[in-house]
Amino acid sequence: MIVLGRIDRRLLQNVDWPLLGAMGGLVILSATTLASLHIGRAGGNVAFRQLAWFAVGLCALVVVASIDYRRLVRLGPLFFLLGLIGLASVFVMGRSVSGARRWILIGPMSVQPSEVFKICFVLMATWVLTSRWAQPVGKMTLALTAPVLVVPALLIVKQPDLGTALLLFPVLTALLVGAGIRLRLLGGAALAGVSALPLVWFLAMKEYQRERILVFLDPFRDPLGSAYNVIQAKIAIGSGQLLGKGVAGATQSRLAFLPERHTDFIFAVFAETWGFVGCLVLLTCYALLLLRGFDIAATSREPVGRLIALGVTALFATQVLVNVGMVTGLLPVVGVPLPLMSYGGTSMLVSLIGLGLLLSVRMRQFQ
Amino acid sequence: MNSWNTPGYRGGLPGRRDPVQKRIVAMSIAVSAALLVIVCQLWYLQVLEGGRFQEASDKNRIRIRPIAAPRGILFDRNGLPLVDNRPAFTLSLIPRELERDPDKRDATLGRLAVLLQIPFQELVDAVAKVSSDSFLPVRIRRGLSIADMQKVEEWKLELPGVIVEVEPQRVYPNSRFAAHLLGYVREASDEQLKQGRYRRGDMVGQTGLERLLDEFLRGKDGGERIEVDAMGRPVRLVQSTEPNPGAQVVTTVNRRVQEVAEKLMEGKTGAVVVMDPRNGDVLAMVSTPAFEIDRFTGAIDRDAWLRVMKDPDFPLLNRTIQSQYPPGSVFKMVLTAAGLQEGTLTPADRVHCQGEFPFGGRVFRDWKKEGHGSVDLMGAVAQSCDIFFYGAGLKVGAPAMTKYAAAFGFGIATGIELGTERFGLIPAPKSPRKGKPPVWHPGETVNMSIGQGQLLATPMQIARFMSAIANGGVLWKPRLVQRIERPERGVVWSDAGTVNGHVELNPAVWAFLRQSMWAVVNTTNGTGIAARIPGLDIAGKTGTAQTIANSKSEKGQDHAWFASFAPVRDPEVVIVVLVERGGHGGSVAAPIARAIYNAIFFEKVASLDISG
Repeated sequence: MIVLGRIDRRLLQNVDWPLLGAMGGLVILSATTLASLHIGRAGGNVAFRQLAWFAVGLCALVVVASIDYRRLVRLGPLFFLLGLIGLASVFVMGRSVSGARRWILIGPMSVQPSEVFKICFVLMATWVLTSRWAQPVGKMTLALTAPVLVVPALLIVKQPDLGTALLLFPVLTALLVGAGIRLRLLGGAALAGVSALPLVWFLAMKEYQRERILVFLDPFRDPLGSAYNVIQAKIAIGSGQLLGKGVAGATQSRLAFLPERHTDFIFAVFAETWGFVGCLVLLTCYALLLLRGFDIAATSREPVGRLIALGVTALFATQVLVNVGMVTGLLPVVGVPLPLMSYGGTSMLVSLIGLGLLLSVRMRQFQ
Repeated sequence: MNSWNTPGYRGGLPGRRDPVQKRIVAMSIAVSAALLVIVCQLWYLQVLEGGRFQEASDKNRIRIRPIAAPRGILFDRNGLPLVDNRPAFTLSLIPRELERDPDKRDATLGRLAVLLQIPFQELVDAVAKVSSDSFLPVRIRRGLSIADMQKVEEWKLELPGVIVEVEPQRVYPNSRFAAHLLGYVREASDEQLKQGRYRRGDMVGQTGLERLLDEFLRGKDGGERIEVDAMGRPVRLVQSTEPNPGAQVVTTVNRRVQEVAEKLMEGKTGAVVVMDPRNGDVLAMVSTPAFEIDRFTGAIDRDAWLRVMKDPDFPLLNRTIQSQYPPGSVFKMVLTAAGLQEGTLTPADRVHCQGEFPFGGRVFRDWKKEGHGSVDLMGAVAQSCDIFFYGAGLKVGAPAMTKYAAAFGFGIATGIELGTERFGLIPAPKSPRKGKPPVWHPGETVNMSIGQGQLLATPMQIARFMSAIANGGVLWKPRLVQRIERPERGVVWSDAGTVNGHVELNPAVWAFLRQSMWAVVNTTNGTGIAARIPGLDIAGKTGTAQTIANSKSEKGQDHAWFASFAPVRDPEVVIVVLVERGGHGGSVAAPIARAIYNAIFFEKVASLDISG
């Protein structure tokens, strides 16, 4: 590894081991859960592929961590542009899975550009917020960030992948807060955005699109669709009780009552198998990971590092909270994966790149 | 969760925190609080309610039954239904409830195959198409007979995963009623499923208005969530959502006129368009032979499908807009309009017709061998004298003729939104050699004067052309739908009519066109006398279009046209009739139009005498 060879020894002393430990723990939990599902013709196939992707992602993590994150942020606009092209390419050469065009084929792999875009978005938003046009942070900053949010959000909604599009909002909000925007200004902008929604609703959207959103807000409008998932997920989680049913006893999951059980609803499988105690372990891993992320952001002594760490952490936090909230019935059903747990190569790769960025910031914090 | 106190945090941060750091700490506290909420929810679900969910999981027997929404109903202009719904039995399989063991499952399917005489392979294929976890029914047979339904009910316990659903199905006044106009409804094809707008088993309009208005006509399916016991018997209705029926469509069609026109065209190949020249409303639209729309809708009737696909007359073709024919002598009205307006023809022009017109080393003949004798322009239109118009065509010239043809909507889409419309064709001048400027070949001009040669038009285009003569030059976009209403929201869509063309002619020219067409029907030697009804002033023009391949063959190989409107003073109705290979327009097409006028203006529904 030439890149590694150049690394200052001091950098290695600052590797955030608790963060990596939490990551390792989660990936092990993910692989064992997937292995218990027997999806595909060969049992364990999915778990194996998940681990293979983890290996690929680990390489990416090391590469990203060894590069100075400031160099990556400087290339933010380029990544952003590539990300947008990726999003747009879905419409040209996209593969359609159950009505949504979210994947493109690159060689033998199918890649989900909206996943990759999440990281591009964080880089771009950081670049904009730390650029000299955005200083001092105020109305001008908001105006500059608006297109960074709106253009990709529209492209992603078109796919349609409402979940990913909605993720961008809290991430950007966290970044603005971290950049020191006055909270009153941010509240005003949010209010303006909310008040523009009826316009979009009545003028820009077709009837079936509105219907889709209504179903999203109230799954019981569509009795054959997502409400069913939620009920089955609740049964799975609840029946896990305090200690779980163990791999052999997890009938809800094994008998495939749960839809999307290896991707968006994997938490329900885990909860059924390992019970409340298992869930505490899993959530502790996430809490550790997220709090380390916030810690890296808080202790970083320069704005670029602080924002990049905050953006990545906010991305993780939103995905974890929205996914687990949805599976446990606290939030409406949105297609958001559980990072590091859900099956999906692109998601795994992107999560590890994000962790690589966090590490990169941590390692250079005392320079 | 208490990594807060890890040494890295404070150790790395000597001194006071800046305000942004405080904000980041606040965010991390907020996230921790949210995680705590999730832990509370898990405590509630897993520890407090765990026992209840355990029970639910032990006998996870929640079933979903979709309730299909009835499609919207299409009405005619007077509120009579053109199509309606009636409940029908559908045989379905629920993959999730079939036996998991492949052998036992095949035994069930085999039993069903024998019971209802369905090919076993068809059942296996249907099950293989969908995920075995799906609770959504896979429709096997629609329109099940009551006897078959009872058989399934009797054997219910031996047939786990097999159900009979009640679904609304389309019914039509008769087997072929307005088949091209309405179009058939079918289960969404694999191709349509790929678009992602439909679920497997959804009924989707495939042609005609059913397809054009599918988004409005399809309702929103409802569903029931039922808890069943170990035997699969329903115990409790957990939740139910009523289906939302589709929107109601008020068309411009007059059902009675449509029926009369269809009756008259029975056994013939051709098309009828009845239009209101005042607004472009399509009152009737008939294309024969028609396909059996009731056998095409719902249950897939392989025999009916194969018969239609093999029929040499292409019953699926909507001849009113998808077939183009040489307009024949109907085109003489374009030539007359062009000549009078440009001043190259006058009503006083007179020709002595002996049945032959030698030109360019060739002899062009009249349809009447012995000729018409001495005729002026009015007489030439009335008797459809070809010899007069050969000369007139050369006088007016091809450029003027094609200009007026285009103005009257030849060669241009009428804009009707019903499947793929053909545009017809106006010939263009050709280059004699590469690189030379294009020129008109005079022989072609002579041919074009009587609507032969390359000139082509659809019956709908001819109806629009007739409407323009009737209303003084307005070209309406043919209107099929007046408005769409939803039960709870009133009118959601309406069409006030669209003008998409205009022809400017001297009022005297309009008057002459109408008068000469009146003469076609109402003078003793007029070619359209067979359409005459005492008490109604019908104006019309006959056409007998020779098909290119059979230009020298006997009568009966020519397409018969009759294009007309009435009453001539204040036209309310345009009727265009085309009978493929029917023979003379005057003797074949005109009587059909006459009978339709009779039905419209004199309500004589019962007597459909078309003999004379």
